[in-house]
Amino acid sequence: MKQPTGQISRLGTFKYLAQRFAFLSLIGLTFALMLIGKADTVIVERARTAASDAVTPILRVMAEPASTISEFITNLQELGAIRSQNADLREVNARLLEWQAVAQELENENRQLRALLGTVNEPEARSVSARVVADSGGAFAQSVLITAGGRDGVAKGQAVVAGEGLAGRITQAGFRSARALLITDINSRIPVRVGEAGDRAILAGNNSPRPRLIYLGVKSAIAPGDRVVTSGDAGAFPPGLPVGRVVAADEASAVIEPFVARDRLQYVEVLDFGLTGILAETAGAK
Amino acid sequence: MTGIAQRRTPWQKFEARVRNILPFGLTVVVLLFGLTPTYIPGLAQITPMYTLVAIYFWAIYRPDLLGYGLGFFIGIIEDLLTGAPLGVGALTLLLTQWVVFNQQKFFHAKPFAITWFAFGFVAFGAALLKWVCIGLVAKSGFTPFGDLFASYLITLAFYPVIAWLFSKAQNGLTIVP
Repeated sequence: MKQPTGQISRLGTFKYLAQRFAFLSLIGLTFALMLIGKADTVIVERARTAASDAVTPILRVMAEPASTISEFITNLQELGAIRSQNADLREVNARLLEWQAVAQELENENRQLRALLGTVNEPEARSVSARVVADSGGAFAQSVLITAGGRDGVAKGQAVVAGEGLAGRITQAGFRSARALLITDINSRIPVRVGEAGDRAILAGNNSPRPRLIYLGVKSAIAPGDRVVTSGDAGAFPPGLPVGRVVAADEASAVIEPFVARDRLQYVEVLDFGLTGILAETAGAK
Repeated sequence: MTGIAQRRTPWQKFEARVRNILPFGLTVVVLLFGLTPTYIPGLAQITPMYTLVAIYFWAIYRPDLLGYGLGFFIGIIEDLLTGAPLGVGALTLLLTQWVVFNQQKFFHAKPFAITWFAFGFVAFGAALLKWVCIGLVAKSGFTPFGDLFASYLITLAFYPVIAWLFSKAQNGLTIVP
């Protein structure tokens, strides 16, 4: 077992050099990967979908405890306010029933008028429900992994909604998982309409919880409180999906409070309006 | 050495194997843990950089079990799963390992407070590097620095918790009956 010290030090030098070589080549590899990734190649996207497909079942199990605790806390909070809420709901229900009658009347009228004009109905949406199992990216990106993928009909470009409104869009679809880029992500750009006038603008995420409206028209009279909905321009989304509300506005831009908050995303719905055909060409342009 | 190895029971062999993959395994666990949603308002924005803590910890205490190769691998997996530009996370982790490996004398048998203090510097450098790389590589440009700084502070705050768990796990296995 005894080795002359010369041999040991030579072995040590060899080990040191091998380690140094490994380190430098791996550093080189990371730079190469950054360049490959920047070129937006299919290989990188495939690697991403393969990785998320592989870990989604594990993440699904890991997300369970936090999800259960969160649901439990919500239940407790709701339990406290249940009486006053009940009274409120009764009042709202009475009001809504009146509105329902009005809506039915309007719908009938609308249908008749449409028939008179011969307009084509908007395509009906097919939706897939999915669970959010990973909220990734931290400070650098805002996207979530969901438990529905190609096998459920989820494809790149589809709109992702959660109860209150638009949450984001699918940017990468694997077999059993997909990644949704949230509207708050710095890469997100969504054509919207604002307020009753329906002014067109682009909703641009900035990685903060409150995205901004850019490219507002010169004479737009946007005021805090205005509702923001998708415009359906560029075929990216179906028109009319609720997005958020204006909280502050000046001449050049406005700040939006989205209806969907990142930390409350537990279940989402992926909407397929059959618009992906148009998107396929523009999907590359993020 | 070989004489002892032959006398080992199957359980001891199994334990030795677990011990050898422990650093890598636990790093993967914290990576996945960092991905799971917490539903705590505002936390998703400033998720701690768990893998950075793990890589730093093992680079000090078990550099033999988690070298450059595995560091690179974990970085790539993290980039793929978080949607970050590919290679950025790997570069950050590799350079963190490099710094610690080259300062082994400094880290040797130092009290916890010192390693934590040193982590403050290393993590700041790593976070800054990641921020610059993402800013340069991603199409979107630079992300708000405030979020990054908050994320850095929370990472620093989480260091003792993760380090404690890791050392418990390691000690639980090193005592061979």
